[in-house]
Amino acid sequence: MISHDTFTAATQPPEMAAFDHHSGSRLERILFNHRVIVVSLCVLITVMLGWQAAHLRLNANFEKTIPTGHPYIAQYLEHRSELTGLGNAVRIAIATRGESIYDKNYLATLQALSDELFVMPGVDRAQMKSLWTPSTRWSGVTEEGLDGGPVIPKDYDGSAASVAQVRANVLRSREIGQTVAFDHKSTLVFVPLLTTVDGRPLDYGAFSDQLERVRDKYRSANVDIHITGFAKVVGDLLDGLRQILAFFAAAIAITTAVLYAYTRCWRSTLLVVACSLVAVVWQLGLLPLLGYELDPYSVLVPFLVFAIGMSHGAQKMNGIMQDIGRGMHKLVAARYTFRRLFLAGLTALLCDAVGFAVLTIIRIEVIQDLAMIASLGVAVLVFTNLILLPILLSYVGVSPVAATRSAHAEGREGSEGSVLWRFLDRFTQRRWAILTLAASLALALVGYTVSQQLRVGDLDPGAPELRADSRYNRDNAFITGHYGASSDVFAVMVKTPDGGCANYDTLMRIDALEERLRELPGVEATNSLALMNRQVMVGLAEGNPKWYDLSPSQAMVNTITSNAPRGLYNDTCNLLTVYTYLTDHKADTLTRVVDMVEAFATANNNDQAAFLLAAGNAGIEAATNIVVAHANREMLLWVYGAVIVLCMVTFRSWRAVVCAVLPLMLTSVLCEALMVWLGIGVKVATLPVIALGVGIGVDYALYVMSIMLTQLRLGRSLSAAYLQALIFTGKVVMLTGITLAVGVATWAFSPIKFQADMGILLAFMFLWNMLGALILLPALANFLLKPTPQAEVVPANSQPTGDSRPVADKSSQPFLMEARQNA
Amino acid sequence: MSTRAEHSVLLDIARSGDRLVAVGERGRILLSDDDGAHWRQVASPVSVTLTAVQFATPEMGWAVGHEGVVLHSRDGGTTWEKQLDGRQAAQLAMAAANAAARDALPDAEQRLKEAERLDADGPDKPFLALHFSNARRGIVVGAYGLIFTTEDGGATWLPAMHRVDNPRGLHLYAVQRRGDTTWLTGELGFLARADGDGTPFVRIETPYAGSLFSMAFGAHDQLWLFGLRGNAWRSTDGGTTFQQLAVPTPASLIASTLLSDGRVVALNQAGQLLIEAGDSLHALSVPPGAPLTSAVLASDGRLVASSWSGPRRLPANLLGSPK
Repeated sequence: MISHDTFTAATQPPEMAAFDHHSGSRLERILFNHRVIVVSLCVLITVMLGWQAAHLRLNANFEKTIPTGHPYIAQYLEHRSELTGLGNAVRIAIATRGESIYDKNYLATLQALSDELFVMPGVDRAQMKSLWTPSTRWSGVTEEGLDGGPVIPKDYDGSAASVAQVRANVLRSREIGQTVAFDHKSTLVFVPLLTTVDGRPLDYGAFSDQLERVRDKYRSANVDIHITGFAKVVGDLLDGLRQILAFFAAAIAITTAVLYAYTRCWRSTLLVVACSLVAVVWQLGLLPLLGYELDPYSVLVPFLVFAIGMSHGAQKMNGIMQDIGRGMHKLVAARYTFRRLFLAGLTALLCDAVGFAVLTIIRIEVIQDLAMIASLGVAVLVFTNLILLPILLSYVGVSPVAATRSAHAEGREGSEGSVLWRFLDRFTQRRWAILTLAASLALALVGYTVSQQLRVGDLDPGAPELRADSRYNRDNAFITGHYGASSDVFAVMVKTPDGGCANYDTLMRIDALEERLRELPGVEATNSLALMNRQVMVGLAEGNPKWYDLSPSQAMVNTITSNAPRGLYNDTCNLLTVYTYLTDHKADTLTRVVDMVEAFATANNNDQAAFLLAAGNAGIEAATNIVVAHANREMLLWVYGAVIVLCMVTFRSWRAVVCAVLPLMLTSVLCEALMVWLGIGVKVATLPVIALGVGIGVDYALYVMSIMLTQLRLGRSLSAAYLQALIFTGKVVMLTGITLAVGVATWAFSPIKFQADMGILLAFMFLWNMLGALILLPALANFLLKPTPQAEVVPANSQPTGDSRPVADKSSQPFLMEARQNA
Repeated sequence: MSTRAEHSVLLDIARSGDRLVAVGERGRILLSDDDGAHWRQVASPVSVTLTAVQFATPEMGWAVGHEGVVLHSRDGGTTWEKQLDGRQAAQLAMAAANAAARDALPDAEQRLKEAERLDADGPDKPFLALHFSNARRGIVVGAYGLIFTTEDGGATWLPAMHRVDNPRGLHLYAVQRRGDTTWLTGELGFLARADGDGTPFVRIETPYAGSLFSMAFGAHDQLWLFGLRGNAWRSTDGGTTFQQLAVPTPASLIASTLLSDGRVVALNQAGQLLIEAGDSLHALSVPPGAPLTSAVLASDGRLVASSWSGPRRLPANLLGSPK
C-alpha cells in the first residue's frame, strides 16, 4: 500500500555520518549494502537479455486471435486440411490505365508478371490461374457439342487479329467477373499458396515482400496493381509492427520531455528513462527464452511497461529529490525513498498485474499471451524501477538546483497551496460535490444510453486489422468492386459418410439451406455442390435455363460431382462446403447467419449429413464475436471484483472502496460510449483495454485514497486530508496519467487499425481515470467519508502541511458541520 | 413474399386476363395484378423447377416443370393443384403400352420397353413446354421426347410418345398449335407436325441441325423457329421452305413472344431482346440487369419478363425505339 511512512520519513536525520547502514528492512540492507554487486548483476543481465532480445521473432499469426476453445473453431480446425476451397490464396489484379485489357502491351506485361509469380517459392503452381495459364478456357455450345480452348490462343502473336481473338474468347468464357473484371479493364491472377516450402512453413512476411517487389517492378504509367489475400494482410501487419519502433521512440521522447518538465533535472530524468528502458530490454529478452513471440497485440505491451516504469521511476525520483532538497545525502535519500516507497510501488504494480492477469480467463491465445507478457513486464519493473533505480540514484543523485527547487516547491505548496490544488480541493465541499455528482450521473446516463449501441466485432469493410484507407483495403475494395467476389466468406461444413457427399437427399438439404441463406439480409450469394449441380444441368442442356434444377437422378448427380471443381467437397467425399458470401462482417450479419444455420442444422442433421459451423473468415469472426461478447461481461466482473477486493484490503473501508471504484466505473461506461462514437466494436483488440484501463487506473485512486484515509484517521478534515494527498501524490498522479496516456496515444498513428483503437481508448481511460481520482473521488468522499480519529495524540511535527485551519478543533466536529462551514 | 422470391430464377411468364403469372425455381409462382409493378408469391404444391406456364382462359391455366409435374389453376393462378407427376406419367405410359399389347398393336413391344425404362428411371425428366388451345385440350412435352395430351382439362392424361418418330428420344423444347395442326420442336433441328387430334406427328426437314428452343406464329401465319447460336428461321409457307434471319449476336435464342401487331420478339442468352425488322432481328435497348428467360405483353402494352433474378418490368418506351 502507499506507505504511511511517506509522512514520517521526511523527519529522519539527514546526515550521512549519522546514518545507520544496518537500519531498514533486510531486503534494503541486502541491496544497499552490496550496491556494486547489484548494479553489476543488473548490467550483466541487461547484456545477456539484450542479446536474447535480438532473437525475438515477430509474428502476425491469426491463429492466435482465434478462440480455439469454441466448438465452431474446433470443428473448423478438425476439418481444416480438407477445406481446400478456403485455401490460402493471394489475388492480384493488374489494371490497365488504358481503354481495356485487349492491348498487346498489357497482355505482354501480364504474361511477364504471371510468369514471375509462377516461379515464386510458395506458389501452388498447378492451381495458379491467370489469363495466360492454360486452365483459363473458353467454351461454347455448337451443333456438334461442346467446343473450347485456352482464352489466349496457342498461336497468339500479339497481332491485332490475335488480340481480337483473345477478346472474343473472353466473351465466350465464364471468366468475366472471375479472371476478367466486369469492366474489362483489369484481370486477376489467382495465386494459391502452399502451406510449406521445403518442409518449413511459408514465411508470409518474406512472401509479402516479394509481392511488393513484383508490384514495384510492374507498376507503371500503364498498369496499376492491386494485391489482396491473407499472406498480404500478414505481410502488411508485419510492416506495421516494424513501424511501431518509431512510435516507441516518439513515446520515449515525449515522456522524457514530460518528466524533465516536471523535475528540471537531466541527470535523474535520463536515469529514470534508462531504467525503464532496461525493463523493456529485460522483458523483450525474456520472451524468446520463455518461448514467446511478439505479435501485433503484445508488441504494445513494452509501451505500457515503459510508461508504468516511467511513472514509478518518477515517484522514486520525486522522493529522493525532496529528501536531497532537504539536505540529505543522496545515498541516505535513496535508502529512505526505497524504504517508504518499495511496498507502495509493489502494491501498485500488483494492481496492474491483477488487471493483466484477469485477461487470462479469456480463451483467446493472443490475449492470454498479452496478459502473460504484460505480467512479465510488470515483474521486471519491480527489479529495474523499484530496486535498480534507487540504487543508481544513490550514486548519481540529482542536480542540486532541481533538488532545492523541489524542496522549495513542496514548502510553497504546503504553505499556500497552488492554484490547482486549491481548485481541486473545492470538490471536497458539499456544493461542488453535488454539482460533480450530478454531472457525473448525467455523464453516466448519457454514456450508458450511448453504450447500449455498442457493437461486437469489426465494423469496417475489408481487412479489419488494417485501416479502412490502407493500401490493402483500397486494393480489396478494388477487387470486390470489379469482380464478383466478396471478401467475407462464411462456410458451413457438411459431414457425410465416406463417399456420401453426392447423396441426392443431402444435396437437396444443402440446396434448401442455400435458399434460406440467400433470403437473409447481408447475404450476397452462396455456392455449393448443389448450386453447381443446377448450373451444370443448364450447361449440359446447351445452356437452356429450363434445365435449372437439381436432377433427381443419382447417376446424373454423380457424373456432375465427379467433374466438380475442388473446394466443393473433399477427396474422400465425406465433407461438403457451403459457401456464403456476405456483404459485410458486421456482428448483426454474422449473427443472422449463425442463428439461421444453427436452426437449420437442428432440423436437418441426420445420419447422412451433419451441418457444422463454421469456417471461412466470417465463420471464424462469428465464433470470435460470440466468445468476445461473452468474455466482455465476464472480464468486467472479474476485473472489478479483483479491484474491489484489492481496494478493500488496502482501505479497510467499504465507503473508501465506493469512492475509489465508482470513478473507474464511470470511465468504463464512457469508454464504451466513446467506442460507439468512434465506430469501434468490441473485439479481440479492445477487450483488454477495459481490463488494462481499470487495473492501471486504480493506481491513482490508491495513491490519493490511502493518504486521505490516513489523514482522516488522524482526525483531519476531508478538505485537509485531500489537500495533503494532493501535495504528496497529486503531482505524481497527474504525471502518471500523462505519461501513460502519452505512451499509448502514439499508437493512434499506427497503420494497424486495432492498435490505433487500443491506443485511443487506453489514452482516454488513463486520462479519465486520473480526472476521476482527482475530482469525482473527493466529491464522493464528501458524502461517504468523514474524519474518524483513531490516534489520541496527533504529533504536531508530523505534518508538513500548510493547512492553517485548526485541525484538532475540526476533527471532533461532525462531518456535515464542517462541510457547511467550508461552504 | 420473401425478398429472395423476388430474385428467384424465373423461367416463364404468362397472362391470365389482366394478371401476370411467372414461374421458376423451387416451384415458385409469382402473381402481379398491376402489369408487373408489384408481385406476390402464391402457394405451390411442388418444389421442383417450373419451366413453362400458360393460361387458356383468364381462369384456367397450367404450368409444367421438372420431375414430370403438371399444375393446374382454375382461378387465374391464385391456387394450384398438381394434375400429373413423373411417377403417374410412367404408370400411364405403362398402362397405355399394356393396352397396346392387348390390342396387339404393331409398336406395342417398343412402347412396353420404353414404358419400362421410364418407370425404372424414376421421375427425373422435366416437362419443358405446354400448349392448351382451350380449357380442355392440351399437350405437354419435355425431355427425352416426353409427350402427354389431355382432352378434359387435365383430368386424364394420355401418353403420346408413340405418335412421334423420335427413336433417339430427343428433347422436345416447344409446342404450338395453329388451327388443327400441332407443331413440335426440339434437339438436332427437330420439327414435326400433326394435323388433327390423335394423329401421328410427321417429321419436317429443317435447314438447321442444332437445337430449336422456341417457336412462334407471327403475322400472316409465318412460322418462326429459334435455336442455338442465334439461329432464327422463318417460314411463310407452312414449313416447306425456311429463310434465316440475321442476328446481332450469335447467342442462343431461348424464348419468344408475340406483340399485339403480330411482330415477334425473341430473347437470347446474352440477355438481349430482339425484334423482327425486315430480314433481320434488331436488339432492343434493354436496361442492364439479370438475363431474361421469357417475356409477355402486359395489359398496359409493355413487355414484362422473367429473368435469372426475378420478374423484370421493361420500360414502356422499349418497343417504340427502333423500327
